[in-house]
Amino acid sequence: MSEGLNYTFLIDTFFIALSGVPITLLVTIVALLIALPLGFLLALTRINQVPVLNWFSRIYVSFVRGTPIIIQIFIVYASVPLILSLFFEKYNININVYNINPIWYAFIVFSFSTTAILIEVFRSALSTVNKGQLEAAQSVGLSNFQAYRRIVIPQALIVALPNICTATVNLIKATSLGYAMSLQEITLKAKVAANVGYNYVEAYIDIFLVYIILCSLVEYGFKLYEKRLRRYKYVSA
Amino acid sequence: MHSMEKYFDVSYIWNSLPILLPFLKVTFMVAGLSIIFGTFLGLILAVMKLSKSKPARKFANFYTTILRCTPSIVLLFLVYYGVPALADNFGLYLHDLNTAVFVVITFTLQFAAIMSEVIRSAFESIEKGQFEAAVSVGLSPFQAYRRIIFPQALVVALPNFGNGLIALLQEGSLAYTIGLIDIVGKANLIIAANYNTHALEIFIALAIVYWVISILIEKFFGKLEKVFSKGKQTINTN
Amino acid sequence: MLKINDIHKSFGHNEILKGVDLSIDKGDVVVILGPSGSGKTTLLRCINFLEKADSGQAIFGDLKVNLNDASKKDIHTIRQKTAFVFQSYNLFNNKTALENVTEGLIIGRKIPKADAIDIGKKALDKVGLSDKYESYPSQLSGGQQQRVGIARAVALNPDIILFDEPTSALDPELVGEVLTVMKNIASEGTTMLVVTHEMSFAKDVANRVIFMDGGIVVEEGTPHDIFVSPKEERTKKFLKRVLPEDYTFYI
Repeated sequence: MSEGLNYTFLIDTFFIALSGVPITLLVTIVALLIALPLGFLLALTRINQVPVLNWFSRIYVSFVRGTPIIIQIFIVYASVPLILSLFFEKYNININVYNINPIWYAFIVFSFSTTAILIEVFRSALSTVNKGQLEAAQSVGLSNFQAYRRIVIPQALIVALPNICTATVNLIKATSLGYAMSLQEITLKAKVAANVGYNYVEAYIDIFLVYIILCSLVEYGFKLYEKRLRRYKYVSA
Repeated sequence: MHSMEKYFDVSYIWNSLPILLPFLKVTFMVAGLSIIFGTFLGLILAVMKLSKSKPARKFANFYTTILRCTPSIVLLFLVYYGVPALADNFGLYLHDLNTAVFVVITFTLQFAAIMSEVIRSAFESIEKGQFEAAVSVGLSPFQAYRRIIFPQALVVALPNFGNGLIALLQEGSLAYTIGLIDIVGKANLIIAANYNTHALEIFIALAIVYWVISILIEKFFGKLEKVFSKGKQTINTN
Repeated sequence: MLKINDIHKSFGHNEILKGVDLSIDKGDVVVILGPSGSGKTTLLRCINFLEKADSGQAIFGDLKVNLNDASKKDIHTIRQKTAFVFQSYNLFNNKTALENVTEGLIIGRKIPKADAIDIGKKALDKVGLSDKYESYPSQLSGGQQQRVGIARAVALNPDIILFDEPTSALDPELVGEVLTVMKNIASEGTTMLVVTHEMSFAKDVANRVIFMDGGIVVEEGTPHDIFVSPKEERTKKFLKRVLPEDYTFYI
C-alpha cells in the first residue's frame, strides 16, 4: 500500500506547518507575559503566608497539576462563552459570543495553566535564596521592593531559569491542543492539509520536525541567557 | 453546539460518574503498561547516559531531547500512522491492531524519556564516597550498587517518579484522539450522543475524577517517601 | 609485609606521584606528612585501587601485582587485606552503625550473620559507641561517625588499615576522641598507614614518619629523626610552617 513517503507532500506540508508557528508563538508569549508576573506574585503569597491568597494558590496549583490540560481547555471553551453571553445579555452588549476568535480562549487557558506551573517554580527558586540576603538588604536601607528587585530576584532567577525553560517548552507543546478550539496553530494547519490526500505520516513527520526545531531554539535561547546571568557567580574577587 | 438551549445542570455532573468510572479501567491499564515498559526502557537509557561510551551517551540524550520536545498528540498520531506504515515495508499488516497497543507504545516511549532523567539524576546525586567505602570494605562493584547506591537513589527518585506518574496520567487523557475508549473517550461519546448538550458538566466530572486521582497519588508517594527515608534528614518545605 | 615500588600517577597533565617507594612491616604505624598536593592521599588511594596508578608494583606478602593493570581478582584480594578510613567518613547512609560495620563482613567476606554481628558489636564497643548500634549516620556527630568508620575498618581484621586524613573534617573538639581511638588500635599492634596533619599523633604513636613533597619521598625515619633532627631543607621548612615557633619535641 505505501511505497515510501510522498516527498513533495512532505516538503510542502512542512511549510504549511511552519505557517502555524506565528500563532503558536503568539499564544506562548502572551501566556508567559501574563503568567510570569502573576505566578511570581502568587508565589510570594505562598512564601509569606498571606492569609487567603496562599490557600487559594495552593488549591489553584493542585487543580492545574491534577487535571489534564485538554480537559481544562474543554472546560474553558465550554464555559466562557456561556458566562460571556450571560454577561452580554445583562448589559445589552451586542456581540455574538460565538464569533470571538478562539485565540482569546487560548490566551485565557494557557495563561491560567502556566501561571500555576510558575507559582511552583518561583516558590522553590525563592526558597533557595538565603533569608540573610533580604535581611542584609533591608539593613543597608533598601526598601522591600528594591531589595527584591536588586538582590533576591536576580539570584532566584538563575535557579528558576531551567524550570522556566521546561515550562515554556511544555507550553509550546500544549498549544498543539489548540486544535480543539480550532486555533490555527501548527498541528491543525498540517492536519487539514493531510486530510486532503490522506498523507498522514508525512504530515505528522512535518509537525514533529517543526516542534523539535522550535523547542531546540527555545532551549538554546534559555541556555544562552542562563550563561549570561551566571557570570556574576564566577567573577573573581 | 449552540443551537439548543443550554442550561447548566449540576446534578448531571454527579449522575454521569457511574457511567464514566468503569472506563477508568482502560485508562489505568494503558497507563500501567506504559509505566512498566517505560521504566524498563528508561532504565536502559539511564545506564547508557551514565556509561563511558560516548555514542551511547549521545544516543540516549538525543532520544530524550526528541521525546521531550514532541507534543503527545503528535507522538500518538505518528505512532498510529507511522508504525503500520513502517510495518508495511516489512510485510507485516498492522493497520487493524487494537488502538490500545498504539497508545501503550506511544506513552512507553514518552515515559522512558522522563524516567531516564529521573534515574540518571538520582544516581548522580549519590556521592562517590558511598561507592568507594563499599568497595573498600570488600563488596564487589555490583554488590555496592545493589546494597548501598540503589536504595539511596530510590529515595531520591521517588518524588520525581510520582510526578512523572501524574504527568503520564494527564498526557494519557489524549489517547481518545486516536480512538481509545477510556474515560475521556467515553465522555466524548456521551457528549456526542446528547447532541453536545451538557458537555460542560461532563468535562467538570472528568476534571474532578482526574483531580482526585492525582491527589491520591501524591499522598501515596508522600507516605512512601517517609517509609523509605529512614536514615535521612528531610528538609521541611511547605 | 607491604612493599610499593616506583609508583607513578598523573591526573591529566599533572604528575602527582613521581616515583614513590614505600615499605611497611607488620606492626608498623607509619605517618605520612606533607603539604597539600604532595601526593600523600593519592598514594594511599592507589594502594587499594580507588585510583589506578600509571605504573608501579605492589608486593603484598607473597602476592605481586602491577598497580596499573591488576586483575579484578587481585584487586579484590588486596581489598580484603586492607581497610580504608576516609576523610569524610563515607558511612553508608542507609544503614545503621552496626550494619555499616557488618556489611563488609557479611557480604564481602561471607561471614555468617550472627558471627558478624558479634564482631561488629565488639568493634563498636572498642571505639566507645556501645550505645549507638542502631543509630543512623545522620543521627551521629562527626566524631562519632568517624569512630564508626574506624570500627568498620577494624572489624575486617585487615593486614593494614589505611587512614586518609581521618580528623581533617572534624570540629576541633571532636578530633581528640578519634585520635584516642587510633592510639588504642595502634597499641594493640595493628599495622597502620596514616596520612594526617596531627603532629601529636605522629610524635606519640608512630614508629616511622615519612615526609612527602612534590610527589616524592623527601625524607623518612623515626619521629625523632624527622622532628628533632631533620636533614633535608624542605623538611625543615615544612616543619617550621606547621609547628608553633617555640615548640620543642621531647622524645
